[in-house]
Amino acid sequence: MPVRAVIKARWLVLAHFWGAFVVFIGALMLGEWQMLLRSPLHAWIVIPEHYYRSVTGHGTVMAYVFPMLIAMGFGYAIVELSLKQALIGIRWAWAAFAVAVVGALMAAAAVALGGATVLYTFYPPLIGSPFYYIGIVLVVVGSWIWVGLMAVNLRAWRRRNVGQPVPLAMYANVAGAYLWAWTAVGAALEILFQILPVALGFKTTIDAGLARVLFSWTLHAIVYFWLMPTYIAFYVIVPRAIGGRLYSDIMARLSFALFLVFAMPIGIHHLFADPEVGSGFKYVHSVFTAMVVIPTLLTVFTICASVEIAARLRGGQGLLGWLRALPWRNPAMLGLTFSFLMLGLGGAGGLINMSYQLDSTIHNTQWVTGHFHLIFAGAVVIMYFIIAYDLWPHLTLKVLGQSGLIRLQLWLWFIGVLVMTLPWHLAGLLGMPRRMAYFDFTNPALASQAWTVTAAVIGGAFMLLSGLLFVFILARAHFQPRAQLSEYRFSVPVHMPVTIPKALNGFAVWVCLMIALTLVNYGIPVLQLIRANTSVPAVLYFNR
Amino acid sequence: MNQSSSPKIGLLAVLTVIGITLCAFSIGFFALPSVSGPGNAWERMCRAAGFVSAKAASGGEAALPAYTTVVIPAAAMKTGGADQIGHGATLALRCTSCHGAQGMSGADAPNLAGQYSEVIYKQLVDFQRGARIDAVMGAMVATLSDQDMLDLAHYYASLPQIEPDRALEQAPALVRVGDPMRSIAPCASCHGRNDGKVGAPALDGQPKLYLERQLTAFSSGTRRNDANAVMRGEVSQMTTAEIATVTDHYASH
Repeated sequence: MPVRAVIKARWLVLAHFWGAFVVFIGALMLGEWQMLLRSPLHAWIVIPEHYYRSVTGHGTVMAYVFPMLIAMGFGYAIVELSLKQALIGIRWAWAAFAVAVVGALMAAAAVALGGATVLYTFYPPLIGSPFYYIGIVLVVVGSWIWVGLMAVNLRAWRRRNVGQPVPLAMYANVAGAYLWAWTAVGAALEILFQILPVALGFKTTIDAGLARVLFSWTLHAIVYFWLMPTYIAFYVIVPRAIGGRLYSDIMARLSFALFLVFAMPIGIHHLFADPEVGSGFKYVHSVFTAMVVIPTLLTVFTICASVEIAARLRGGQGLLGWLRALPWRNPAMLGLTFSFLMLGLGGAGGLINMSYQLDSTIHNTQWVTGHFHLIFAGAVVIMYFIIAYDLWPHLTLKVLGQSGLIRLQLWLWFIGVLVMTLPWHLAGLLGMPRRMAYFDFTNPALASQAWTVTAAVIGGAFMLLSGLLFVFILARAHFQPRAQLSEYRFSVPVHMPVTIPKALNGFAVWVCLMIALTLVNYGIPVLQLIRANTSVPAVLYFNR
Repeated sequence: MNQSSSPKIGLLAVLTVIGITLCAFSIGFFALPSVSGPGNAWERMCRAAGFVSAKAASGGEAALPAYTTVVIPAAAMKTGGADQIGHGATLALRCTSCHGAQGMSGADAPNLAGQYSEVIYKQLVDFQRGARIDAVMGAMVATLSDQDMLDLAHYYASLPQIEPDRALEQAPALVRVGDPMRSIAPCASCHGRNDGKVGAPALDGQPKLYLERQLTAFSSGTRRNDANAVMRGEVSQMTTAEIATVTDHYASH
């Protein structure tokens, strides 16, 4: 077997990662600007349209373009590194990248020119320029090509390794790809059958209730798509990077399989306040949202156990004394710790969001913005950093440089996220609505909340600094001396499983459950709304 | 290491998921709806699934208030062709005594020059269907066909619009940023400058008397053809002095 120190498709992976990080920095700057504008440190924005334009750009990049490019690039690297085969269909992969980039530029241009200030969640009956939606569709088409390539590569490997267990990294990667393929269908139906006909002028009305139900199909599962690279890193990068072993290979597979099943039929918990959806389905979706706890806690348990193994291998003793033996100066260890802390806080908040009754106290408040920034910008993105740091020498063939700077970068990000999102949660509890371009802090009723927005500006500044430092570290590596590379390894489990249950070596059962549950939980709400036909006149947002 | 052929985990997963689904559905559609709400078990179950009977939706009453039912066709949102504008101009001859020879009124009726075609079309249809009441306009539109109304709209839309002559920063606060604490959206968010919404008219240069009358009518509820009661909602919060301020602003463009 050839030594795979170098990723053959490294330029492909680098293109995806650099593309992702460039748009990430741009969107990060927009985010900080938005917070500054809304804060007492700045006068009210005279033209709120500019604020919402920025929010649309920030959301579109952070929700679609950035995580998609990371998942795609990481997926291509995993094919080579775990299957130990050259990527099949590399031309298709480049084509998918080109399609996604063209789509992203098209959407960005529509937003920047003020033709699509509809926020990344689209919000019908608002209708923006068709170029925005077509751009998003192109980004998704690019990612679907990636999904196809992941399946093709796995099939080719299976043909040469009949009956062998699929390497964990690839199993998880393909689970993420299938999750995304089905997740994106909801928003795709909404764009193709509801929004584009209006944006292109064939129709003048749109059923906003139906559109929201279809979008909710995508809206929550997309969060698990963002999480996938992070979870993959938890299982296959961190235990190896800190000198330990993975506690259980089977447990890992089960977690990914269960994410496939439970990520999808739960999106209506975003629509608790929507009168069109029946309370029975809101309850059912609430129940299934709670089921996500199972793969999450499986992961927390398995990873904590793996970390303990690493500590004991390093001589750690005692009930909790082993914590001291952990390699705290190792970026992967630091990143994992921060990620888990933020996942724990965010998950606790999530329990409130997903419960039918408690949600009413925080629905559409700044709490929700705090929640998803804590989960995505915090727990998820910090592991994207770790993935990049871990792969970088094998992508650039250069040494990465001192880990002191890396630790500083991770600390800045962690502190920034907490300083930004925790006060947001409080502001939400006090009733501050989300999606506001400005607040009148001279009003005595609001004055006491002003500090939360100022804190967000400060937290955001830490994050922006950290983001710039991150890009600096990665860019500097290109000019570093050549690295002496050994073979790239993913984590190995403590006990190599002797046999793997067939269901956990394939996806048939899980994909069937995923589709069946989606149909059961979404079928009637969608049919009921189509039957009710509650269309309203569309609100065109662009100049005809 | 080999792949086991035992199908147990898959089967277990399928059975568990079916079990959870059945439990969730029985609680969501039988147990919880049985606790409260009118109707028999079947009606309550349908309601939990989102199906609402027409009787319940109308609050049990058959009579609905006069309500605008206009759906703006795509044709009203495009620039009219020369033949449509020509036909509209001919029809418009009967409008000139109030709305002016070139759509600029000298009689405190609204100026129609450059007004958006879908705005004019919607108001004409509302007058015709009785969703907006005006003794003169009701009689004027009674015999117009749908095409006539579209053509009139295209004609007036083709005339030059009055441009605002001041920067938005100089506009009163209500126009520029609204008043969030009273849930009043900025006028400029729908009527132009910040943004324009379909169906919202351009206001710059309209006669002050006309604007004031309309805002008062929205406020008192005698005019109710605004979609989703949006104008009634905004104006009901405004004082007489504030109505004077914003109408002054638009009338003096």
